[in-house]
Amino acid sequence: MLARIAQELFWLGRDLTRAEHTARMLDGAFHADVAGGPGERGIAISWRGVLAVIGAKPPVPGQEKTDDEPGASVPSLLTLSRREIAPMLTLDTDNPAAVVSCVYRARERARTLRDVISTEMWEALNGFYLALGRYDLEAALATGPYSVYQEVKERCALFWGVLDKTMLRDEARSFLEAGGRIEEADMVLRMLRIAVPAGSLPDNTLDGSTTHEAEALALLQAVGGFQAFRRSVHQVPDLPSVGSFLLYESAYPGSVVAALAELQAALETADQAPRSSPPVLRLGRLIADLELQQRTQQPTGSLIELLAGVQDELGLIDHDIDERYFTIAGIAPVHI
Amino acid sequence: MNGHKLVTVSGETLIDGYTIPAGSWDELIRADGSPQPHVTGLIEALERLGPGALQEAGRRRDAIFMQQGITFEVAGTDGERRDRPFPLDLVPRVLTAQEWTVIKRGLAQRIRALNAFVDDVYHAREIVRAGIVPWSLIVSRPSFQRPVHGIRAPGGVYTHICGCDLVRAGDGSWRVLEDNVRTPSGISYVLENRLAMTRLVPELFAGHRVRPVNNYPSLLLDALRAVAPAGNETPTVVVWTPGPLNGAYFEHAFLAREMGVELVEASDLVVRDAVCYMRTTAGLQRVHTIYRRLDDDFIDPLEFRPDSVLGVPGLVRAYRAGTVAIANAIGTGVADDKAIYHYVPEMIRFYLTEEPILENVKTYLLSDEKVLKYVLERLPELVVKPTAESGGKGVFIGPHASKQELEEEALLIASQPERFIAQELVHLSTVPTETSDGRLAARHVDLRPFAVFGEEIRIVPGGLTRVALKEGSMIVNSSQGGGSKDTWVLDDGEVLEATQAEVDIRQPPRLPDVRYGGWQGQAQQQQQTGGN
Repeated sequence: MLARIAQELFWLGRDLTRAEHTARMLDGAFHADVAGGPGERGIAISWRGVLAVIGAKPPVPGQEKTDDEPGASVPSLLTLSRREIAPMLTLDTDNPAAVVSCVYRARERARTLRDVISTEMWEALNGFYLALGRYDLEAALATGPYSVYQEVKERCALFWGVLDKTMLRDEARSFLEAGGRIEEADMVLRMLRIAVPAGSLPDNTLDGSTTHEAEALALLQAVGGFQAFRRSVHQVPDLPSVGSFLLYESAYPGSVVAALAELQAALETADQAPRSSPPVLRLGRLIADLELQQRTQQPTGSLIELLAGVQDELGLIDHDIDERYFTIAGIAPVHI
Repeated sequence: MNGHKLVTVSGETLIDGYTIPAGSWDELIRADGSPQPHVTGLIEALERLGPGALQEAGRRRDAIFMQQGITFEVAGTDGERRDRPFPLDLVPRVLTAQEWTVIKRGLAQRIRALNAFVDDVYHAREIVRAGIVPWSLIVSRPSFQRPVHGIRAPGGVYTHICGCDLVRAGDGSWRVLEDNVRTPSGISYVLENRLAMTRLVPELFAGHRVRPVNNYPSLLLDALRAVAPAGNETPTVVVWTPGPLNGAYFEHAFLAREMGVELVEASDLVVRDAVCYMRTTAGLQRVHTIYRRLDDDFIDPLEFRPDSVLGVPGLVRAYRAGTVAIANAIGTGVADDKAIYHYVPEMIRFYLTEEPILENVKTYLLSDEKVLKYVLERLPELVVKPTAESGGKGVFIGPHASKQELEEEALLIASQPERFIAQELVHLSTVPTETSDGRLAARHVDLRPFAVFGEEIRIVPGGLTRVALKEGSMIVNSSQGGGSKDTWVLDDGEVLEATQAEVDIRQPPRLPDVRYGGWQGQAQQQQQTGGN
């Protein structure tokens, strides 16, 4: 298929999944903020953490007031409060990380893909776009952010559900799903990384475990995995157990390994020669690495480094996907 | 209502013309009409919302509750049963940390005494021999269970889950109105109310640090595991429901879901060789702790009601053998009987050698002729309750009764005095509550905190505040037109100080930049580079 189309499909999947996870994360942050744990500062899914997820940089000690860091889409935002952050990340069309921006981009992409995706998928997505424009989002967000995020979650689920029922299991679908899954793994990793405190995790026996219990609960609620966790892990949610659940539990569809496995399956379907494809090979190695980590039960202290390592590797896989499938769409038409 | 004192709050506001009924304490508004000092921020936030936004939030609440199935059945005037959204009032009830500390200590003390009483009743009966509680009264309670005589519950804990009903008198002091150590219900509403409040009116929480309640399922699961018979494996805990037709089925399912344990019915359980199992796809699986949500009488047809189809034959045998823990233990009902209630302060002194922290409401047992005569004389001022009923059924409130009702009640009491107790009327405290026109008016409330007794007694901050939605009414049961409120326990600064130092260091890690991709991005880039 055309490289341009494949790339659009891939990013359609990414944009929609990002919209969903941002909505879940903001809902979680709202809830954690309002319902309170041991104080705003102690909660994993804090507003500052939310900003970090979408790429705002914390000040480096010694140079607190830096100007626009290269690549930071939303510079020096760390002083903002919930009143500003929530609308900015939800409705601000000027902000590319906002939920509505993700949906608008996804819909623009779908417009160029109407011959590839099913009509019902297009209608689901277009209906999503129109619904966001229909009512006064700002007022809705001010009075009840929950209903706004609920709508985003439901509309995303509708799109993926219709896809599952109506789209041919072909290359196009594989790229679309690959985009959705890589974004999911990336977002869950980001949220895990802001939730796990730097340095080593305290043992459960330590006194400070209660605050981490609240963080673990907030994290689970922000990814929507509370009930799955409860049924799968028969212990009180604390950071180590929630961390390994979201990282390793292949039976939970939202976990990192589950997303990676599906990404691998999608790429293997899409690739003409998966056995010599750099992204597929790299992904295979990452999945095997994670399985090794899980089975050898590394000390929990290294969780933070492990997460960073996995995310770096995921970045390389992303780069490999670009190289292998999409860059050809960008090369100059004429050689000079 | 007679003798209202009119208290008016200045300005065109939600609480304009707010009236506190005479003799009652208001939890949020002081007698001079100004907010209680700890809720000034809350009242301001409510005023900023105004009646319109509050009513709008109310509509969203009903829609969300209907969608989530948080409903209860009410019989309409035409006798047809309909699902109604659980009536949550959007104005919270607020307790300070100091108030809560007193309640918490008082409840823990009371529960320890009640637990000791249950143990004593089915074993040594020391309290009877000491002449404090008459044995004839204990054995005549319908909830006294002979079959469990001599059975010591695992861990010595009988009253695993308790909910005591507290009321606040006109002087602001707390009294215990009733104990409930059988199967108190309502905790699911505490959690759902908090969740709904954070979703519907997040503005109200601004500036308050409210203690979270969402760790209750963890506390409960820990306690149920702690009392499980010792073994090598992780204990298996189940929630036992009578079935989906039970009024509290929502709560049973809620607790099972939140704890991640199985919700079983009688047909799922089986007892073999005095060990309890559940039927799973992988065969019989041992059950260690049963959190049962049905009455003693139905639990085992071999020992109790033989016609019970909700029970598990042989369960009491397994319980006697110590292979399964049942929470709450069988026979605990003897401790929360309305006639036994009178003796609880004495129990606290007897078992714990402590003075009760929370007082009882003054209660009269009518078996004594002199007391009976005294009560009948003062009937128009007193409250009379049948000892065998629950849920507010048959409660007779003297001051609200007509002359004819008074005469009928007097005859009823005189004919069977041992079936009733009489209590002094407590003017329940009030909290501002939404009315149909969007304004706030004083409505009477009680408070049911929930305690969990495993290795130690843990109490969820706050509890269920039930509110009588009818003006002047003091019957708060939801089956009688009552609603509920979210209950906030505020954190004072002290607890926070300790964690602050550690937490301030927390900086989010530097994450990689978010990527934005696709054809459009690249085309733009190319157009720019191509233009040079």
